[in-house]
This record gives sequence, C-alpha cells and structure tokens, in this order.
Amino acid sequence: MTLQEDPIMSSSTIADPITLEIIQSSLQSAADEMFLAMRRTAMSSIIYEVLDMGTGVLDASGELASSGAGIPAFVGVLDKAGKVIIETLAADDPPQPGDVYFTSDPYRGGVTHLNDIVVVMPVFSDGRVVAWTANIAHNSDVGGMAPGSASGDATEIFQEGLRIPPIKAIAAGEPVRAVFDLLELNSRMPDTLRGDLWAQIAAVRTGARRLEGVCDKYGADVFEAACAQYQDYGEQLSRAALADLPKGTFALTEEIDDGRVLDVKITISDDEFLVDLRDNPDQTEFPTNITRDAAMIPVQMLFKSVTDPGLIANGGTFRPITLLTRPGSVFDPKEPAPMGFYYDLLLPLYDLMWRCLAQEMPERLGAGHFASVCATLLSGTHPDTGQQYSIIEPQLGGWGATSGRDGNSAMFSGVHGETYNCPAEVNEAKNGLFVNRMELNTEPGGEGRHAGGRGIVMEYEIRSADGNATLAFTRSKFAPWAADGALDGSPNYCEIIRAGDGERERHSFVAGIDTQPGDVIRIVTGNGGGVGDPSERDPELVRQDVRDGLLSAERAFEVYGVDAAS
Amino acid sequence: MAQPQLRIATDVGGTFTDLVVFDESGGHGSRVRTAKASTTPPSFDQGVVDVIDRAGLSLTDVASHVHGTTVVINALLQRKGARVGLITTEGFRDSLAIARGNRPDFFNLEFEKPSAFVPRYLRREVPGRLTYTGDEREPLEMSGLPSIVEDFQAAGVEAVAVCLLHSWVNPDHEVAVKEELGRLWPEVGVIASSEITREWREYERTSTAVLSAFVQPVVRHYLEQLEHRLGESGLTDPTLVMQSNGGVATIESATRSPVSIVESGPASGMHGAAELGRLIGEIDVLALDIGGTTAKCSLIENGQVRVMTDYSIGESPTTPGYPALVPVVDLVEIGNGGGSIARVDDFGKLHVGPESAGARPGPVAYGMGGMAPTTTDANLWLGRIGTSDFCGGEIDPDLAAAEAALATIGRDLGAEEDSASVGARGIVRIANNNMINALKLVSVNRGRDPRDFTMIAFGGGGAMHAVALAQELGVRRVVVPETAAVFSAWGMSVSDLRRDLFATVLYELDMEGAAALGRQFEEMEASATEEMSTGSSSEPTFRRYATLRYRGQAHALEIEVLPDDLVIDGVAGLADRFIERFETEYTYRLDASVEAVGLHLVATLASGAAPPEPAALGPAESTGAHTGRRMVDFAEEGTHEADLYDHRSLEPGMAFAGPAVVEGAGTSVVVHPGAAVSVDGYRNLIIDLDGQS
Repeated sequence: MTLQEDPIMSSSTIADPITLEIIQSSLQSAADEMFLAMRRTAMSSIIYEVLDMGTGVLDASGELASSGAGIPAFVGVLDKAGKVIIETLAADDPPQPGDVYFTSDPYRGGVTHLNDIVVVMPVFSDGRVVAWTANIAHNSDVGGMAPGSASGDATEIFQEGLRIPPIKAIAAGEPVRAVFDLLELNSRMPDTLRGDLWAQIAAVRTGARRLEGVCDKYGADVFEAACAQYQDYGEQLSRAALADLPKGTFALTEEIDDGRVLDVKITISDDEFLVDLRDNPDQTEFPTNITRDAAMIPVQMLFKSVTDPGLIANGGTFRPITLLTRPGSVFDPKEPAPMGFYYDLLLPLYDLMWRCLAQEMPERLGAGHFASVCATLLSGTHPDTGQQYSIIEPQLGGWGATSGRDGNSAMFSGVHGETYNCPAEVNEAKNGLFVNRMELNTEPGGEGRHAGGRGIVMEYEIRSADGNATLAFTRSKFAPWAADGALDGSPNYCEIIRAGDGERERHSFVAGIDTQPGDVIRIVTGNGGGVGDPSERDPELVRQDVRDGLLSAERAFEVYGVDAAS
Repeated sequence: MAQPQLRIATDVGGTFTDLVVFDESGGHGSRVRTAKASTTPPSFDQGVVDVIDRAGLSLTDVASHVHGTTVVINALLQRKGARVGLITTEGFRDSLAIARGNRPDFFNLEFEKPSAFVPRYLRREVPGRLTYTGDEREPLEMSGLPSIVEDFQAAGVEAVAVCLLHSWVNPDHEVAVKEELGRLWPEVGVIASSEITREWREYERTSTAVLSAFVQPVVRHYLEQLEHRLGESGLTDPTLVMQSNGGVATIESATRSPVSIVESGPASGMHGAAELGRLIGEIDVLALDIGGTTAKCSLIENGQVRVMTDYSIGESPTTPGYPALVPVVDLVEIGNGGGSIARVDDFGKLHVGPESAGARPGPVAYGMGGMAPTTTDANLWLGRIGTSDFCGGEIDPDLAAAEAALATIGRDLGAEEDSASVGARGIVRIANNNMINALKLVSVNRGRDPRDFTMIAFGGGGAMHAVALAQELGVRRVVVPETAAVFSAWGMSVSDLRRDLFATVLYELDMEGAAALGRQFEEMEASATEEMSTGSSSEPTFRRYATLRYRGQAHALEIEVLPDDLVIDGVAGLADRFIERFETEYTYRLDASVEAVGLHLVATLASGAAPPEPAALGPAESTGAHTGRRMVDFAEEGTHEADLYDHRSLEPGMAFAGPAVVEGAGTSVVVHPGAAVSVDGYRNLIIDLDGQS
C-alpha cells in the first residue's frame, strides 16, 4: 500500500485529520485557560469583571492561531504585537525558553491605548519557537497627566502614560528588575499594576506550559501543521459564508456627536471584504484617534458577525479582509497623536459599518444599539477605609430590535462580550459610595413593530470628600438609529445633581471634575432603535408594555394607536 | 416483627428510575442489589414504586430511603412552576431583568438575553435602605405592602420572593417584609433571599429567591405525594432527599430551599466517588461520569468533594442561564455522552456532540429510526461493546445500519477503504479528546497533576473510555465500581445529612479578623445545629473553610480553617496555606496582605448506617468468569484479540490482564493492552495501567 492510499496518512499532511483536530482543540483550550487564569488573578475590576482583556495563541510567525473567550474587540489584536516583537527584538536576540515580552505603544504593536499592555511568551519545542502565547489587558494606571492615564485634555500620546516599546521583561525565567521598577515608578497605583501584570504573566505561562505538553506528545512539526491547517479552516469558514453575502459596494456617511463626519465604503465581492476608510477627517489633537491596527478591530468584528458568528476565530478567519486607510487621518494617525479614548471613535466606526450593512442584510443585522462604552471613571477616597478607589466601568444600554423580535435590554455594547456589570452591593462596599438606583430606562424611543431594548438609569451618590469624575458618552446628540419605518431610540447622557441646591447639569463628556459628598452622578443610557412601522406592532405587546410601566398609555395611543385601557 | 434492615436509594432520571439496595443483615461482602424501571412522568412516584416492585422488595423491610429527583431542573427548564411576585428595594426592581449584561456568544449579534422569570408589573418595590455594613440608612417603609398584595392577588400570584439590598449582611428588613406578608396574606408561600443565601450580589440573590419561589410549590407537591404513596405501601421512616451538595436533607428542609436539590443525580455520583474512594483508601480522585448526553467530571481531594455556589441553570458556552446561589458539587459537564451525534462539517472536520440522539431515537444501532452515528455506534462497531450485551442485552443491535452510518463519516474524512472503522476510530478519539479537555479543566488547569489521582469511572459509558483517558493523562489506576451503571443511586445510599452554609464577609486576616471569623463560624454552627436537629441526640460535625484572597484581587481560594488558626497568632498559618495554594495554582506569589471574603461551613450528621464491609479475597484464578474472546479496536492502540469476562461472575480476588472487555453489569469495561485488573472485596474492578496490580 502506498502512502497516498492510506486513508489516514496522505502525502499532503504529516498527520491524520483527527490528530490535527485534537491539537487544534488544545489551541482553543490553551487560549481559554489563559483567559480563566487571568480573570482569577487580576487585581483590577476592569480586568476581572469588565473583562477588558483578551488572550490568544500565535503561531511561530505571529499569526493568530486561536483566540480565547471574553471580549470580541481583543480577538484580532494580539497578532500585531507578536509580529512587532518578532521583527524588532527576536531577530537580534533570539528568544530563550522562559522569556516574556511586553509592549503597550499603539504605534508599536500595542494597538489600542497605553493602558493596554500586551504580554507575549514564546513556546519552545525541538529547540525552536513553535508558537507564542499572548494576552492584553487594561492596566488601571500607567502614568500620564491624569489618574487612570487617559485624559480628555491630552493632545499628545506622551501625556497618556509611559510608552512601553517591545521589551523583554523576563529573561529565561528571571524578571528583569529594571523593567518592573520603571513601570511601577510611573504608575499611581503600583500595587495594582504589579498584580495585574503578574496575572498576565501567569496566564501566558499557563498557556505555554499546556502547548509544550501538546508538542511533547505530537512533535513540533505536527503541531505547526495543525496551527497552519486551523487557520486554513478559519479561512474556509469565512469564505464559504462570504459567498452568501450580498455583493456590491455599500457606502454611508454619518455625523457623530463631536461634529466630525465619518465615511465608510464596504465592497463585498466573492473573495474579498474591502473596507475603505480613506475619506475621513484628519487626525485630531483630541484623544479620539485610533491606529490603523485598532481600526481593523471593528472591521474584523463585524465581518465575523455577518459571516460566521461562531466562537472560533483565528488569523485565517480574517484573511478575506482588506482595509484601506489614509495616513494622517483619524483612522491612521501619525505620532504623537493621542488616543486615550480610542473607543469613542472605535465604537462609532463599528456602528457606522453596522448601519451601512444593515440596509443590505436586515435579516442578519438589527437596528442600532446605544453604541457607546459610556465610560464612567469615578475615583476618590473610601470614607470608611481611607483607601483610594478607582471605578472604571462601561455601562449597559439598549440594543436595537431585530427583524424578528424586540431588542435586548441592558446589555454592554457590541464591542463587549462576556463583560459583567458591578453589583450595587459590591460597588457600595468596595468603593464607598451609594448606588441609589439601577433600573430600566422608561423614556420614549425605539418604538416600532419590534421595539428597541431598554437602556438603564443608574445613580451613584458620592460619599468621598475628594471625588473626581470623568464621563465619556457618545450617541448623546444622535440617538440610536431605527430601521424600516420605526422610531429612533433615545440618547445616552449623564447628569450631575449637586448636593444641597440640587442643581442639575447634563453632559455627554466631562473630564476630571471634582465631586462633593452627596453629589449624584446619574447615568442614562439609550434605548435601542426599533424595526418596522409602529402601527404594525401586536397590540397585546403594546398593552404589556403599558402594564409593565415601560410605556405610558398616552404614548401607546399616540405612537401605536392602541388604547391600552381596552 | 423483624426490624426493617434494607437501606434503599431511588434516583429518578430522564429515562430510568434507578434503585440500589443494601441489606444490612447480609454480613460481610453481601451484594448490593440494583434495579431499573422506566421513569413515569408526570406521576414520578409510580416509577419509584415500580422499581421497588421489580426488585421484589417490600417497603415494610426498608429502614431508610434516600430519593434523588430531576423535578427541580425540569420545572425550571420547562418553566412550569408558580406565578411569582417579587419585592425588592426601591430602585432595584429591574435588577432581575438587567442581570449582569454579559453576552458569552459574543460574535452573535442575534443573541437573545434570557427573559426574566417575573414580568415587570409583578416586580414591586419598598423604600428603606441598609448599608453594606448592615446599618440602616433609611428605615423600611411597608405602608405600600397591602396594595402590592392586592395587586398580586388580582394577578394570580402564587408565590412571593423578597430580595432587599444588603440582606447578605443584615436580613432584618427582609424578615420584616416576610412577616408582614404573612400577616397580610397567610396563604401564600414567601421566600426571602437571606433564607437561602447570605452571599452578596443582588442580581444573583434575587434570582435565587425567585427561582426558589417558582419551584417551591412544585417540589412540595412532588415530595408530599411521594411520601404519601410510599407510606401507603408500608414505608415507615421518612424519605430523605438528595441535595446538590452531596448530602441529604429532610423533606421539610428540601422544601424550604428547593433549588438546593437541583443537581441531585450528578452530585450524588461525585459524592459516591468520594465515599468509595475513602472506603478503598483512594482519597485523591478524578471522578468521571459518562451518561447518554453528557460527561461530567470532578476533582476530589483528601476524600472531599468541592462544593460551590456559582451554579447557573441552563448555562452554556452561549448563554448565561439563571444563577442560583445554592451549594452544588463543583463539576464540569460537557455535551459528550453515548448518544452524542458525530458529523463531518463542510470542511472535513469531525465533530462529536453536543447534539445528542437521546434515548429516542437513540443511536443508529438501536434500530428505532436514528440516522446519525453516535459514540455508542462507534464503540459497538469497534467491538468495545458486545452485541449480546448491547443495552444490557435488551436490544439486538442493527450492526449493518451502524456500519453504513459510520462509513459515511469515514468517507467524509477521506477514507477509501474500511471507512466504517476509520469513522468509528475518529469518533472515539474526538470524544476522548473532548473529555480529556474537561478532565484537564478540573485538574491541570487548577495546578493539580492528574498523575497524583486515581480515576473512578461510572455512568453507562464511563468505563468504556476511562482507561484510554487515564493513559493520556498519566493516571495510574482506574476503579470501576460494580454499581457503575446506577452509581448516582449508590452515592445517595451512602450519604449523610449535610448542610453547606456560605456567607460573604469582609475581614482582614489579622487578630481582630480572626476573632470575628471565629464568632461568625460559631453562629453558623448554632444555626446549622438547630436546622438539622432530627430529634435524636446526635450533633452535627463541622468543617470550616475560609475564602481568602490577596487584598485587591477578586478571585479567592477556599482554604480549610483548622482549630489552631483562630487562636492568638494563628492566622499566619492560614495565610501561609493560602499563599502556598495560590502559587501552586497560579505560578507566583505576591507581596500583598491576605483578606477573608467568605465563609463556608459544612455540617454533617451521619446517617448511622454501617459502611459496607469488604468480602474476603478468593483465588486470583478468573477462568470461571471468562466467557470468550473477540477482536476489539482500541482506536489509538490498534486491534487486539481481547478476553471477555462476565462482570456478575467475577469474585473478589480474581485477576486478569488486558486486552479485555468486562460485560454484564449494565456497562462495558474496556481494558487496554498492558493493563492489569483485579477484583477487590467490594467487587470493584481495580485497573492498574502499568500492568502491576
């Protein structure tokens, strides 16, 4: 029997398909295990509850071999860091077993903003690097001009924290003391930074150990073949789904809250998903630029959601994507443009592309959601313990209706995933403030045949004597968009209700304002957009909404023509 | 009249109701009797009576009865329970609907959030606030309750749940609302969240109270009917109910916290593994339970199952489910069982599970219309299950149909000849790999080396895969209990009364904190003693655990608290044990202080039943049980001629070597080449992978 005739061994592969698949499932498990390890040991709630982090396995060349659970925005980030490390460091100084690298500079593989530190570790087998394990996480304070590092006042990246270029932080298992000393000295919260970095290190070590075990059993060559074939599989899944999408060039231009006009053109053909962002504003001195690498994130996410929304994603998945940007623009800025609030441009871009494609594929994409991180940063001194606290939270909001049903209420934005809100009981104990209410937003908006989901109303009552608040809400001027004749949703905003005189200030963006005990920060997040003419809504559902106090009887009559009393 | 001397356990599953019988009068090595009957919805008590009949028992001979049931999980998954009204703190009625906002299926923009068990108009509020220290910030205002009760009555509410902010630290407001409701509306059942759990996180606690109120009437009716029926048939002693924590409770206690019995079957299997392990001197155990639709595994250390409260009903990789803060044995469950369906996708990748052919139509070989090949079909085709032993000999397998279905898989994988075997081998290897990943999740991933553990395998399919899994993980010994096919019921029959109490606390691990810990443990012990008093003079025994973490971290590890820890200067020892354990699990230690964030008290009250006694070992000669030989495909190790043994004819002391297959006790035990088997005094098969028994 020749090799070709053997059903298991074929000349084109060096292992049988089942073995390859077993290795591929190990890649996935390794990424998931890293995710769990990080979540369990992180110091900051933005990592362990908000899950502002991602994990993945890269192949020897730095391509994404598998990604872990968590937040979809970080799935396609780690390969950039891996490649920069391979190009800049590994060439001159070959990695040793036990090495660990860091990078955070968005212009050098860090992708997002300086708070996000990427940690990368080589995996060895047969004396060579066969893979890398990597993760990224939001570190609470990395220096810069304001607590928490990102500042609305920053005009250059130098003001947003310590820039970490690709650097070896652990050499053959031995921590490079100078690196850690430098990082900690530059942080306002050195203990937290240290704890979080070690959680990241523990995670890459966990993944590397797991993969080395796989290589020991099957050999480095078979392992590498499995990585390569897995990416080919990812590509096949994408291309098969791409074939089912409507073809053509779709374009949309939209003004966002800050007055900038964003533009996207998406060309879908049989073998390419081309996104053209060249016709967009010049980079700005405000910290809402995003690097080209970061602009790729929402492109990848939306592509994945409209092609194969399963949980498997790797480098191959995204091969059909082409992204065009213009150097010097907000989506491809030149140094030293600031980007601390990168997500306030990333989400509008994601939403813009979503809306652009929703017109073409309403069965896959519902109406607009509240589409904002609604970043809420509150800090101060815990009045009972005397310790500093720092809340860095995204907010829940309403999602748009879909072609078949009402939208989800109170979910995190589309760039979040397995992200959790902070329970009031935990918030009150941990941060020394009161959460006076956390309820659904019953403002009008989002009415339609299928109604948008509800945003939330949340009130933080400050107890700290030296409180400070930064609130960054988008989609405050333009409410979430509706589809097919429904009504738009309602806007995101926040109010500061001052202690004493009860004076109310309404904002969408405030940076670093002082708060007094008794001040109430009131968060209101938008209801999602509706789908379809409100007159076509099932009257029974309208009556249920009235009964549930989500809709007034007057509005039920006015918008739906339903007399709820009947 | 002779004293009743039988101890029995009945376990109602989706398809079968299992029975295990111990005869206390039988002396050393007396055989455990087992029986199976069909489950009989909706009158589940009929199946229980049937299985007792089938075993030829009279309930007048029964001294104790432990019962396990799926009534809670069924009611919750099918949403067949009471209409619940909810009362919360002002500003928090939507907590139940807001939940935590997470979206595990994160690329899926069509994700549908689980809908709340209580509609908004039946979620009502009362003013009044406590702080996180338990102090009153604003007095409780109950003047609105009468009109809430009126509305509830008008809406047909059948049960009420109450969850107020910070009742984890101070339940006074909740208790007051419950009492007032009792006064206003004595007929309705009310559950206050603090009666079920003293852990923080308002959404999870609200969900726990709501789910409890939802199932309480169903559970009460079910257990009362069962007790009545069995009483009519002559059972004198009260039935005890299996909980999800590996212990039993009285019917009254199970009704008070009904969700606590939600996972009684899976939990009792894991508890059984721990008990069996202790009996035979194996205190560190990897327990593996493979059933028709899923495989479950759990790590048992030092003879103890781990009990946690992070349970969520209906949770999966794509949906968050509904949390219930009730004590559940820590186990990992994956969609891989005998009925798991294999398919090759459009890109040539073989997948096994999580879709299952279930009991009907079941695997292709059942000949009941199933067209999709399953793991059971693969095992049958490879000779790992005998044709005469298929389904306990009750089904004559349709081999030709199985071959055809498996051959499709093989061809889709590229095989040009012997495609059924190629397909079957692939299915077994993928299924094994899925289970390996689950086993690693409970061991390697928590810093445990599987080589330090013995595997105890049970369920209909555990013993078919156990040796291969053990080989892969480096486990040296596999134990297959004689009652493997009804092991959950066996676990129930060896359970003690048990209560697990959890509380959230916020203490520094210093002298002051240690004193506070000690005081709170004593309070919990007093409350457990009161709850568990059964009229007899025996007192529960306690184990104390503290949930510790580095200050600032969220994730905590549970460490056993020893008596010396809470005396002067003793806490340092507790902190040191935490630091060591943390480093084992996560590779590093931190220069940070350690704090306590939770307490866990385990109270047990022994059932009083004597543990089974081993029989004396006879000669090693096993030819008496040898029934023949057949070719068996061991997947990775190729095809070998294997010796066949009849499980029922194996006597204590007998020994033999692989390759072999042991059949006849409701499960097929696949012994790979090179492994050695011996039968111990409890008729367990002890399989030593290095060939030396």
